Amino acid sequence: MPLSAYVILSGVLFAIGALGVLARKNPLIMFMSIELMLNAVNLSFMAFAHFLDSVQGWIFVFLTLTVAAAEVVVGLAIIVSIFRSRTNIDVDELNSLKG
Amino acid sequence: MLNLTPYILLAPLVGFVVLGLLGRVMPRAAISLVGCGVVLVGFALALADLLSMLGTPSDARASDITLWTWITAGSFHVQFGLLFDPLSAVMLMVVTGVGFLIHVYSIGYMEDDPGYWRFFCFLNFFIFAMALLVAADNFLFLLVGWACVGLASFLLIGFWYTRPSAVAAARKAFVVNVIGDFGLLIAIFLLVGVYQGALDYGTILGVQGGSAPDPTALAPSGVLLAIALLLFVAAAAKSAQLPLHVWLPDAMEGPTPVSALIHAATMVTAGVYLVARAHVLFEAAPTSLVVIAVAAGASAFMAATIACVNNDIKRILAYSTISQIAYMFMGEAAGGFSSGIFHLVTHAFFKALLFMCAGAVIHALGGEQDIRKMGGLRERLSGVFWLFVVSGLALAAIFPFAGFWSKDAILGAVLQRATASGAAGWYVLYAVGLLTAGLTGFYIFRLILVTFFGQYRGAPVAGHGAAHGATIGEPLAGLHQPGMALMAPMWVLGALSLVGGVVDLPGSQWLNDFLVTAAPSATELSSGLVWGSMIAGLICALVGIGVAWSRYARGQSPATDDVPASALVVFLRRRWLIDDLYDVVVVRPVLAFSRALRLGVEDDTLDAGSRGLGDAFGSLSAGLRGFQTGFLRNYTLTLFLGAVVILVYFIAVSQ
Repeated sequence: MPLSAYVILSGVLFAIGALGVLARKNPLIMFMSIELMLNAVNLSFMAFAHFLDSVQGWIFVFLTLTVAAAEVVVGLAIIVSIFRSRTNIDVDELNSLKG
Repeated sequence: MLNLTPYILLAPLVGFVVLGLLGRVMPRAAISLVGCGVVLVGFALALADLLSMLGTPSDARASDITLWTWITAGSFHVQFGLLFDPLSAVMLMVVTGVGFLIHVYSIGYMEDDPGYWRFFCFLNFFIFAMALLVAADNFLFLLVGWACVGLASFLLIGFWYTRPSAVAAARKAFVVNVIGDFGLLIAIFLLVGVYQGALDYGTILGVQGGSAPDPTALAPSGVLLAIALLLFVAAAAKSAQLPLHVWLPDAMEGPTPVSALIHAATMVTAGVYLVARAHVLFEAAPTSLVVIAVAAGASAFMAATIACVNNDIKRILAYSTISQIAYMFMGEAAGGFSSGIFHLVTHAFFKALLFMCAGAVIHALGGEQDIRKMGGLRERLSGVFWLFVVSGLALAAIFPFAGFWSKDAILGAVLQRATASGAAGWYVLYAVGLLTAGLTGFYIFRLILVTFFGQYRGAPVAGHGAAHGATIGEPLAGLHQPGMALMAPMWVLGALSLVGGVVDLPGSQWLNDFLVTAAPSATELSSGLVWGSMIAGLICALVGIGVAWSRYARGQSPATDDVPASALVVFLRRRWLIDDLYDVVVVRPVLAFSRALRLGVEDDTLDAGSRGLGDAFGSLSAGLRGFQTGFLRNYTLTLFLGAVVILVYFIAVSQ
């Protein structure tokens, strides 16, 4: 398969993820969308690494996976603690920092 | 020679600190004991010093103790040192001695006051400040004492700080005194220049046996005149001489012991002391002595005339003080520095007593100060009456009371100067002195006759407890008889007013000889003139008393303010319009200027500017606040849009 196929797939996945972050009100779904965006980027890293025969892309993928794991840990902890204090995790209701 | 001067200063300072820190929780007896005790200790030490000095040859009677070095900067050295010489010995005796009697008097006078401990605390501080002023051995510490005395007077005049008039009087005294401090400070700057950084009396005035360098050889006459005049500005402010006398009558708002202490016995004498101490500098600029003579003559006459029409028992004495201090300056201006100090000493005795008598009357009548509401107190307060007469005779300079000898020493010195120089001005000054002597006799006996003779004219005196019911039949039944604490110091001062003149009788001139190294009298009085002058002064005083007797012998009340009075009387009642003049020339322009600054500069410019800056940032942030919607998806969208913009930019750049 040509490189362009990978890049197009990666772009489509990224757009779907971005739309999910913007459109959904449930923070769990938003997290899944963010994971989708991250993995779209990972896909393009892998594709470029393969086609350019470079190891740098691989290294970046590992880095991204680590960051994504850490981000999920922190994010889920925040969501749980919000749920405990408010019994509601609709992001539109979380507006106490309104100016 | 014994020199305990540091301990004389330390004693009242200890009292001040102890009372200031612990006075609130100390019982009254302990406060009285500490307050009076420390001053008595100071007096005992001063007396021991003086006795030791008398046993020393007259050319070795100056002892300078340097406690520590205060400032060293290049050639400029200031040491904290205390000088004990005949002049400071006399001053310390007066300050601690009369001060102690006034402390004892205060025990009785202030017995019901809730601020008892505060009062004694301030009194002790005042004694300390005055002792520092007279004992300092250089001009810088003279200034320190000078300023501390001003502060002490501010605290004591405004002692009853809930009265607006007392607060205003305290502020007035402070402002006028600071004018004097300023004059002294500038004079010190000039002295530093002239004497290459030295400020100690030893170098400038040569008080320690060594002779002073001739100032005229060190500086041009203009500088010397400026120094002398600035020193006199300081002296005039502290000693309430024209035109800086306005604070003293208002200062009668303080409790009467304060009036006795500050405004009769000690504080106002600081200027007289300064002129005597620095007489070398004044003699080096003879014009300054003429200025002093004019100011003193005018002050003596003006204050005496105002005292003739005033109806407030304490204010009459206040104007009398101005007049008597002016006598001291007259003597000093004529070169009789020791005669000025002599009058200072006797005046401290009889004026303190006069204030104490006035205080006893005020105390007895429950706070009444208007002599028109008194009268007929002779039988009820016979002790106070006789002491009042003794001190009044001393003030009026009647033979053989203390004031007679000292006032005539001054008049003699002025006459001597007049005959020596032949200038008409000195004869005029002498005539003013004689005239004022007559006025003095008049106003003090007007005060005594109106207060003690005739019928009682005031409202019934509210008495303590059971006596209260008796006031219906007898208006004076509730009179508060002065207790021992009031009367004992008065008897002592009465005795001193009677015999205080013995220290410097013509012929013996003991005080004159004692002071010769520190404050000499330039003029040798020839006996014929002195005796003639004495008789002239005595006749003037007797005439004054006679006029008072003819007008008030039956205790007639002086005319009230609403009865139409001649223009002269109105002029005198308005205090020669000097307060009005200050109001028009100084107070109103300053207030108008301040108001213009407040409205024009403060409000419209500075405040408007800072307010405008604040408002600008306020509206800016109000606009920016709109971005903080609180919706997470709005932020996310902004984030993505930003990313898109950056992406588009890079794509655009790369092509």
